[in-house]
Amino acid sequence: MGNDQSVTTSGPKVYTVNGEKVTVDEDGFLVDPESWSEELARILAEEEGITELSDTHWRVLKFWRTYYFTNGKAPLNSQLKKGTGLTMAEIQACFPGGMRRTTRRLAGLPNLKGCA
Amino acid sequence: MRKITFTVNGLSHSVQVDPDDGRALIDFLRDDLGLTGTKQSCDRKGQCGACTVLVNNKAVRSCLTKVRNLDGAEILTVEGLGTPEKPHPIQEAFALAGAIQCGFCTPGMIISAKALLDKNPQPDTAAIKEAFRSNLCRCTGYAKIIKAVKLAAELLNGTTTVEQVRPSADEGYIGVSHPRPSALQLACGTAKFTADIKIDGVLELAAVRSPYAHALIKSIDYAEAEKMPGVVGVITARDIKGTNRVKDDWQLLCDKKVFVLGDPVAAVVADTRAQALAAAEKVFVDYEPLPAVSTIEQALESDCIRVHDETPNLCYSHPQIKEDAETALANSDEVVEAHFSTQLIHQAPLEPEAGLAFWEEAEDEDEPKLVVMGRSINIHGHLQVLQDALGWNNMRYEQVFIGGHFGIKMEITAEGLAAAAALHFRRPVRYVCSLTESMRITTKRHPFDMHVKLGANRDGKLTAYWTEFYLNNGAYTSAGANIIRRALYMLSGCYQIPAVKADGRLVYTNDAWGGAARGAGPPQSNFGLESAMELMAQRLEMDPLEFRLLNSLKPGESISTGQVIEEWPFPGCLETLKPHYERARREAADHKQGRYRRGVGLAGGSFGVGRGGADRSNVAVELMPDGGVTVYGSVADPGEGNDAMLTQIAAHLMSVSHDKVHLVTRDTDNTPDSSTASGSRVTYMSGGALVLAIEALKAAMAEVGAKGYDDLVAAGKPTRYMATRIQDATFMDPATGQGAPFESRVHGAQMAEVEVDTETGAVRVLKMTAVVDPGTVLNPRVVEGQIEGGMDMGAGMALRERYVHGETNDWKSINFPTMKTAFDVEVVLLQTPRKKGTLGAVGIGEFVLLPTSAAIITAIQDATGGERIHHLPATPDRVLASMNHQAAS
Repeated sequence: MGNDQSVTTSGPKVYTVNGEKVTVDEDGFLVDPESWSEELARILAEEEGITELSDTHWRVLKFWRTYYFTNGKAPLNSQLKKGTGLTMAEIQACFPGGMRRTTRRLAGLPNLKGCA
Repeated sequence: MRKITFTVNGLSHSVQVDPDDGRALIDFLRDDLGLTGTKQSCDRKGQCGACTVLVNNKAVRSCLTKVRNLDGAEILTVEGLGTPEKPHPIQEAFALAGAIQCGFCTPGMIISAKALLDKNPQPDTAAIKEAFRSNLCRCTGYAKIIKAVKLAAELLNGTTTVEQVRPSADEGYIGVSHPRPSALQLACGTAKFTADIKIDGVLELAAVRSPYAHALIKSIDYAEAEKMPGVVGVITARDIKGTNRVKDDWQLLCDKKVFVLGDPVAAVVADTRAQALAAAEKVFVDYEPLPAVSTIEQALESDCIRVHDETPNLCYSHPQIKEDAETALANSDEVVEAHFSTQLIHQAPLEPEAGLAFWEEAEDEDEPKLVVMGRSINIHGHLQVLQDALGWNNMRYEQVFIGGHFGIKMEITAEGLAAAAALHFRRPVRYVCSLTESMRITTKRHPFDMHVKLGANRDGKLTAYWTEFYLNNGAYTSAGANIIRRALYMLSGCYQIPAVKADGRLVYTNDAWGGAARGAGPPQSNFGLESAMELMAQRLEMDPLEFRLLNSLKPGESISTGQVIEEWPFPGCLETLKPHYERARREAADHKQGRYRRGVGLAGGSFGVGRGGADRSNVAVELMPDGGVTVYGSVADPGEGNDAMLTQIAAHLMSVSHDKVHLVTRDTDNTPDSSTASGSRVTYMSGGALVLAIEALKAAMAEVGAKGYDDLVAAGKPTRYMATRIQDATFMDPATGQGAPFESRVHGAQMAEVEVDTETGAVRVLKMTAVVDPGTVLNPRVVEGQIEGGMDMGAGMALRERYVHGETNDWKSINFPTMKTAFDVEVVLLQTPRKKGTLGAVGIGEFVLLPTSAAIITAIQDATGGERIHHLPATPDRVLASMNHQAAS
């Protein structure tokens, strides 16, 4: 590819989940955390290479959501461990390839990027 | 050696000096006495006045004053003048007049005022400008500083009292200019900026930076550096355990390649800054230089080397298509076609970059916490950046006072290396950059290169707009893609343009990299549109104001993104400006001959409030036992007055005095994420979230009939409520640029009156008049201050400022605005409450820049009768060339 050929313009992406349209931003994060559903989490998980969400996955994702909607921010790992009763090794094993980004995305939290 | 004795703020100090001792007074004050109200900005070149102190009742720049010459001297710093509890009348005056925004320049300003008023108790404007000729301010445009000095004179001579000027709680909190809660801390020098904070045992960091714009790193040898006195160690990219990335294409420390002059390749940590800097000189980096890509044209050649191997140099583009612009242009009676450009600009906050990192132990945590202190305006977002970059999660970010922002603080700089070194050495580390280094390592305002076509029919109605614009992105993508999108969001400005076709393109080079900069795209694109509007008005021989009025968008019509608009108070701004415009034209008509000629120009602007597309802010409120409230949210205030906004909203809605409102905004550990202080979104989004949180608290109180804290607790209800303000907006479609990016907008029109020296081409702005409709005005003085400072910045963009990476090194070479370049301002505020605004209010800080440069360029053309200047800045050479070109043609 030459220098005068631009990479494809990235942009938001729309999923249809249970008949509802759900938008993610150009980095793949849900625009509206309230539009999250377990079905959407399964779709996003597949994109991350996670074929099945186990009880451990759900425990982590639901903790993220509860923490975010209570505190308005993401938990630190120490809070994640305390809140889920899991070790970091167990959590990281469930979410390979960047635990915090993946869990944040699958849990439907908004992108923290300054100007998405 | 000899002993000398002098007093500082009335206390005697003795020091040993030798005849060659070059130590500056600023260092003695800050380092030995901890008097950090005296600020350092200009690398001790005596350019900024932030370090001004009194020596024997004379204002001097302490960076140029040697300690060895001070035997017997009496020195007064801002701390010796007054305290927040017992301020000096000059400090009160600065707070009351709204002369304090970021506050970094304020101590120096106040000391200069003291020196002036001691000699001249009733100075006029000319005397004030002369006395403050060496004091720089980026935020205010100087207008309120002049007012503050005059108010101080009145307070000192007894013609006015503080009580007469300071609003009381009885006057309410909406539309009342209460002083900002932090103003007296800033006025008295007790507000701590990053470089003011010292931690016991802190190590100092110096970075090793690339002398090449583009080169491979073959090896780094720091063995000699490690042997230097005081050195604790050196880190390179391989010592960073996380992603080592600030952005996808931007590393904290470069590992294989450098992409721009000044890229960091290693960091040296030592006991003192001087030792770290000396050791950094001993780090040997073996580079293999690569061809540097300097221009857009060069970058787009198919055989040009790629700046980033994995991405073409044309790294991003976004179209916009509203109806069929090409056909509409072909069918138009008139088409104006032109090429415009704007320049690379440094946002120029006065505070140099700095960061501090240290460790905190907590009993209930199994690993220590790394605390980072700095000047982020997005503490939760930047915490995540640091956590990922460093591979260390247990962190908190604490924001301290911020010495100006204007977009630069959308990215972390010094904090990253300070935290990386603190993590590596498990010691506290501070990184205080020089001004030159700060300029090298921060984002800039992107230069725009714009080709435009604007169509209209003989009846004066616009038909279509076509534009293709390129941005030299520099070496890294900070907010480049978003700058393009924001330009497209607001591309059609204030006007109803039935058809639009646009394409914005972002191009990597090895130049300084662009990022957020007050307005972030629209100030540049609006210069293109408003310039084309002016050319079209000339072509149609229509009055420029009437032409704009005729084409103003109306509710029910759509902007270039296709969003149908419900509220559009722009015509009211033009109507209000009309008598000012007529007055100015009459006055300028008497100055159309001779060497000095005057002209008038106007332009409009419409600015979407928010990040564009998805945007949300979380804020919590807690009812306190004393009946007051505490507001929690990461709501940064780099000088815009967000502290006043939160306080006044809470006081108003809770019916309490402002001193019963407490703000907790600076720490990631105890705030919900309110997102960035950008996009003029803070009043709208975080103020809006505060309103929702208070409504939730009040609903809970009403539910149990609680009249106060005790009732609420007795009823078993929580005392703290968090709410989220969500903007009902969408992203643009990537193929068409259509969408609804903002709920609300701020509108306005500006008029420039200039005088041109037709022999030299020098332009003097005589006056700017701004009519702005920001909805409900919560604090008029704060809003005025934003408009005045923004127009001063816009005038710099129009006339003076241009950043050249590697050559622009200080405030002089940047052509920083001064009291000498300051102009008269008149601000008229209209208040059309916005349906979705915070108590009817929207944001204001960035909009201001949109009309300024086009209005000034029009005024220059009106003065000279020459050709319109298409390329910014309008330097004297360009002004003369535009006159000569017209004469020749």
